[in-house]
Amino acid sequence: MANFVKTELKVKHTFNQRLKRHYLNDIQSVYHCHHYSALYTQLAIDANEEALLATAAEENFYVMLINYFKENNVEDIELKVILACEYYSVLGLGSLTVDVLSNNMSIVSSENSHIELGWIKKWKNYDKPVNYIGCGYVSAMLSAVLNHPIGTFETVELQSIVMGSEKTIFKSYVK
Amino acid sequence: MSIDRKKIIDDMSKIQVLGNSRGLIEAFNVYVNQLPTNFWNTFAERLVAKSNLDLVSDVENLLIYAARECGYHTGYGIITSEEWKAIVQPMVETTEDVLHGAFAVFTAWGWAQTEILELVPGEKMVVRAYDYYEADSVLYGRLDRKCAYMIQGVCSAFMALAYSGEYETDGSKALDFECIQTKGIECGDDYGEFVIEKRKE
Repeated sequence: MANFVKTELKVKHTFNQRLKRHYLNDIQSVYHCHHYSALYTQLAIDANEEALLATAAEENFYVMLINYFKENNVEDIELKVILACEYYSVLGLGSLTVDVLSNNMSIVSSENSHIELGWIKKWKNYDKPVNYIGCGYVSAMLSAVLNHPIGTFETVELQSIVMGSEKTIFKSYVK
Repeated sequence: MSIDRKKIIDDMSKIQVLGNSRGLIEAFNVYVNQLPTNFWNTFAERLVAKSNLDLVSDVENLLIYAARECGYHTGYGIITSEEWKAIVQPMVETTEDVLHGAFAVFTAWGWAQTEILELVPGEKMVVRAYDYYEADSVLYGRLDRKCAYMIQGVCSAFMALAYSGEYETDGSKALDFECIQTKGIECGDDYGEFVIEKRKE
């Protein structure tokens, strides 16, 4: 997965003056802060609904990525990986690097994470992984990049910034 | 009131919130994200829908609480930001102007198309929302429960920022006011309406 040509993601931001709504590449989006994302994550943990949070993320990010690839005629797998990682950053979620990509098992790492740095800023470290939104993104990214149906992959965190690691490592495998 | 609401919305809606080389958007003293509105709605609605009936109110209160903290901390970051100082501060003469300005920013940021309908300083505020993303999921029919959790939380937080004294980093003052949603687009009303009052001990 080396020697990629760095390609910039096309980002079109629009504001509907009548409805007062923002759109990022024609998908309605909204600014929120790390307090909001941390508290939603904590709520998912407390309710034992971490999978619900990850699935909500996966469904929405899958649509976003599929739409982007389709509208921009992106079919090359390597280019899709680059663009999907850039999209993660444009959303403010941090940085992603795909270390291993395969149809059955992939490894993705993140040296910067909105969810985890936000959690640490708010509450300090935690003894369990918390980046369920990131897990959902990675699952969506792999399905979109590899042309698999949504829901193909399960993603877990092997190590986590919020637990004290230098970077978070996601492992994805076919369900 | 000297607040030019249209100008604030026009100017603040044009501000591009950009990420840094680490993929993080650091602004207003918080990490900001710009995620699809449908993501937030999906999680909130499914969580409420899955909850046992006797727990629904608790879950809803926790969703509101998330927005209270968001509104309190991010709201403070906004009203102390350079953008606020440049665009809104020159129009501000009173504490009430700060609130009117904050709701214009609330609108400009795409949280909801809101404005203050009634304001009794330090006591009560009535806010109307003419359009908001939290009502989007209802495609047909109407809900029997109001679900603008984010607006409820942020309204309470803004009132606390205005009338609860100095900002505190622990966010505890965000609980000083409580908000009741009295109307909702999701319930078939023409607009959402929110009544914010000092919390009763």
